[in-house]
Amino acid sequence: MPAAIRNLRNNPHFLFARLPNLLSFICVVVGVVWLLLLPLNEYSRQTYISENALLPGQVHAYFTGSEQNIFRGYKRELEGLLNDGQARGGQKDEAEVTAAVSDKLQSILQAAGLKVATQKYEYTSAGITHQGENTYAIIHAPRGDATEAIVLVAPWITADDKLNLNGVTLALTLARYFKRWSLWSKDIIFLITPDSKSGTQAWIDAYHDMHPASVQPLPLKSGALQGALVIEYPLDHRFQSLHIVYDGVNGQLPNLDLFNTAVAIAGGQMGIGANLQEMWGHDDSYEHRLQTMFRGMTKQGLGYATGAHSSFMPYHIDAITLQTKGEGWEDEMALGRTIESLCRSLNNLLEHLHQSFFFYLLMQSNRFVSIGTYLPSAMLIAGNFTIMAIALWMRTGYYPESKPSAKPMNEKGSAEEKAKTDGIAERHLALPLSLVVGLHLLGLVPLWVFNNIFHQYFTTTTYIFVVVDIILPLFLAAILSNGLGLSNPIIPQQYHLIKSFSLLLLGLSLSTLATLNFSLSFMIGLLCAPLSFVARLQGSAPFRLATSSLGLVLLNLVSPPTVLLGVCWYMGISVETVLTQAAFGWDIWGMWTQVVVWCVWWPAWLIGCVLLWSSMF
Amino acid sequence: MSVDRRKIAVFGAAFMLRLLLTCLFPSLPDLLTGRVEVSTPVNSFKRLQEGLFLYTRNVSPYDGGVFHQAPLLLPLFALLPDAKSWPLPTAIFYFLVDLLNAYALVTISASGQSVKSRLHSAVRKHVRWDGVSVAAWFLFNPLTIATCLARATSVFTTSGILFAVSNAVGGNSINAMLALGFASYLSLYPALLFIPLVLVCYDRRSEGPNPPNVGSFIARHAALLLASVAGLLGLSCLITGNFWEFVSATYGFHLLVPDLTPNVGLWWYFFIEMFDSFREFFLGVFWLHLASYVGGLTTRFRRQPLFIITALLGVFAIFKPYPSISDASLFFALLPLYRHLFPLMRYTFFAGSAILYSSLLGPAFYHLWIYAGSGNANFFYAITLVWSLGLSILLADTVFAALRDEWEQEHPERVGTEVRQV
Repeated sequence: MPAAIRNLRNNPHFLFARLPNLLSFICVVVGVVWLLLLPLNEYSRQTYISENALLPGQVHAYFTGSEQNIFRGYKRELEGLLNDGQARGGQKDEAEVTAAVSDKLQSILQAAGLKVATQKYEYTSAGITHQGENTYAIIHAPRGDATEAIVLVAPWITADDKLNLNGVTLALTLARYFKRWSLWSKDIIFLITPDSKSGTQAWIDAYHDMHPASVQPLPLKSGALQGALVIEYPLDHRFQSLHIVYDGVNGQLPNLDLFNTAVAIAGGQMGIGANLQEMWGHDDSYEHRLQTMFRGMTKQGLGYATGAHSSFMPYHIDAITLQTKGEGWEDEMALGRTIESLCRSLNNLLEHLHQSFFFYLLMQSNRFVSIGTYLPSAMLIAGNFTIMAIALWMRTGYYPESKPSAKPMNEKGSAEEKAKTDGIAERHLALPLSLVVGLHLLGLVPLWVFNNIFHQYFTTTTYIFVVVDIILPLFLAAILSNGLGLSNPIIPQQYHLIKSFSLLLLGLSLSTLATLNFSLSFMIGLLCAPLSFVARLQGSAPFRLATSSLGLVLLNLVSPPTVLLGVCWYMGISVETVLTQAAFGWDIWGMWTQVVVWCVWWPAWLIGCVLLWSSMF
Repeated sequence: MSVDRRKIAVFGAAFMLRLLLTCLFPSLPDLLTGRVEVSTPVNSFKRLQEGLFLYTRNVSPYDGGVFHQAPLLLPLFALLPDAKSWPLPTAIFYFLVDLLNAYALVTISASGQSVKSRLHSAVRKHVRWDGVSVAAWFLFNPLTIATCLARATSVFTTSGILFAVSNAVGGNSINAMLALGFASYLSLYPALLFIPLVLVCYDRRSEGPNPPNVGSFIARHAALLLASVAGLLGLSCLITGNFWEFVSATYGFHLLVPDLTPNVGLWWYFFIEMFDSFREFFLGVFWLHLASYVGGLTTRFRRQPLFIITALLGVFAIFKPYPSISDASLFFALLPLYRHLFPLMRYTFFAGSAILYSSLLGPAFYHLWIYAGSGNANFFYAITLVWSLGLSILLADTVFAALRDEWEQEHPERVGTEVRQV
């Protein structure tokens, strides 16, 4: 056995060509297996409340009885206004109805004794204009000094595009109810937004004076926001359980304590079940845990706003959405009591939520894995590229490029001697460096195109990019191989260097990304994994031709536009919808998933294709 | 003729690239100006603007404790149109300074002092890049571009140092001392380069017919340096009126390190963590540590004074109280002069990867700490450690290669043999 190892150590072909492939492959496999192990009891943990000040469910919630009459009254008034608009159809236009409803909201909040203000906003993205008017009101803390505040948000349209009449009414009722309590030590802000996508973003941007010109500034403000709860009750019947949505923009998550508090209050104090990630019949089995985790990772990886709460996250304000689901026995009063109890818990906070985790994967409402446990899986996948890059670098310096198999020993010896004069072979860096840097800069073109054209053209452009992805690498490979415009033609070493630099950058970006958005890094890492093993082929012409065409077909199946088309086809969504949403995210939410796709994934993929094409020449 | 065309192409392309970046991404300069990696309290353009505002309104620029840069910059920038409403003239001024620095590099490279000086001649003289490649390496370095776009005032210190060196290798020792005086006046630490620089001048002079006496040569140049600094200080005194106020706000600030805003260096975290009673002691230790490299490197590399300057610039980029990426870019600018040492270096790829990793992870961790709130100061500090580690490996490797080169020159029969650490 030691002899065999010594033999391998002295075999340069094994050291420089075989071993790195093997190591990279092991890294990818271990990375994936690691992720699959996480749902097991040995690797995940029971959730717990870290911040003692929260004391979830330790107070009695008094929101009952006569408040229900108030709720019904408010609901009827709002319903009347909305139905009035619908009934008269053509005669009263939408703007008038909106204005009437807004007036009604303001008068109700004012009558309850709150300070009320409104904010108009308008956004344009991909040729579509989004506009609306936020209404908000502030309860000044009887026991506070207006330096801290909690936000309760009720959007008129929920994240699932349903009318949230009960939610808005509940917010109004709670405003009247909370105003009469003297125990608040933080201001409470009630925010009614027209939709879940842009309204909260406009409001929170303006709250921090970071709004664009098309958004009005806020006339009325309070202190630093400590937390935000979004109420969604779009049903017109009693509900069964609460669905807690927690993903933020760019995969940022709220402090785990907030989620745990909501679960503890809903489940423990109120006896309402809490679900997450649309897993209704969760039986705590391995499969369901894994599925929950994957759903969470998909949302985190895509980085879009999953509800009105998502916009709060970039400002370091922890926020969740409470959605009512199913048909059961819980009424709006139960939801109101849950929110009351949550507000009391947040009211107890002495400092910003910071005790618990910000990086976690949830697999059941009471089970999670923290970053220390799951991060290695994405890091291993990113590490496989770095290993390959280092190996290729070593190979270009220490292992003279020669036909690996059936080599006469003396020729190899002489080549090595020639390289020995300076210890290592001279590397020609200029061309590989400029090609890799140039292609990464080229990624800015599709990034700009997909964020700035009108939404009608998205589908066409995607198909154009599928074609470009076939032609561009062929074109580059032809230039490289024939030395068009270059004084000296490319040598095999430079192909290795191109791949080395490209993979180095990929590994670099993905490991950085893993600390910011684990899921995105993991997904892109998996999609790019074939690139580690793609290289310029050598051998007889028919073999090269056959293998490289097969490789190209496979590689084109995992190109960014093809993956997009494939996923859209599988999910049954139109490409235009997805890209419009993406452009909206880029323009309004500050989402940067596209940057990763076009400036990290796409260039690395292109270089893989160039290497394969070049083996045809 | 063709060389000239290449030079024009490189300089023109560098200028156009900067102009393009400024025009295509108008918010980029301001973004970079705010980054802690680029702007430190002693070179920040924002703080310069603040000082300029006070200065143009006849208030002492050092009131309010924001501005800590040399006062002579103020009348200079007062001549340029307001950077807020007319950003382009200031930007172009900085582009030109960058091009001038590159020009100084071309001169240094053309003199060939890095491969063959009076006492030393490298073994691999033929392995070298010409001046234009060295200039291109400097001009297209992302760190240089970031510094230039962020309009950090450290580019003027860079010019002072590079012109001091280029005059010294050209044999013009008086101009060299004047330039070094300018650099030292701006940021104090270049004064530590005096000894190696005067050695470069001395070696150049000694190549001539009648070599001067070492002692008197050094004394005369020291006097010249002091005179140039004194002249600049006198001018500054005329501008600010209050000599002690400006000295304590600028040089006192450099020496006592009161502002612990995070930067890419190693000092801020140490001094945040430290109990106040130990502060003076460790300030002394840190400065002594920084200065001690001058003696050691000068003794060991007496035969290659230009290399001492390069190595010292690397040391400054790591151990200065307020380092920024512009200091690293100056070190990287001089490295290609030692292209003949590259084959002897052993860890370039790893050092390069460490530097690349830290330059991506640094901003990410800073974001997690300051904006997302999900990280803390240790995240960013860990990355500045990696950054310094990468630079240290690179520096140590360069020093190793230079030593090996000297050794190979002494033992021509042993060229190419493996070294073994004992």
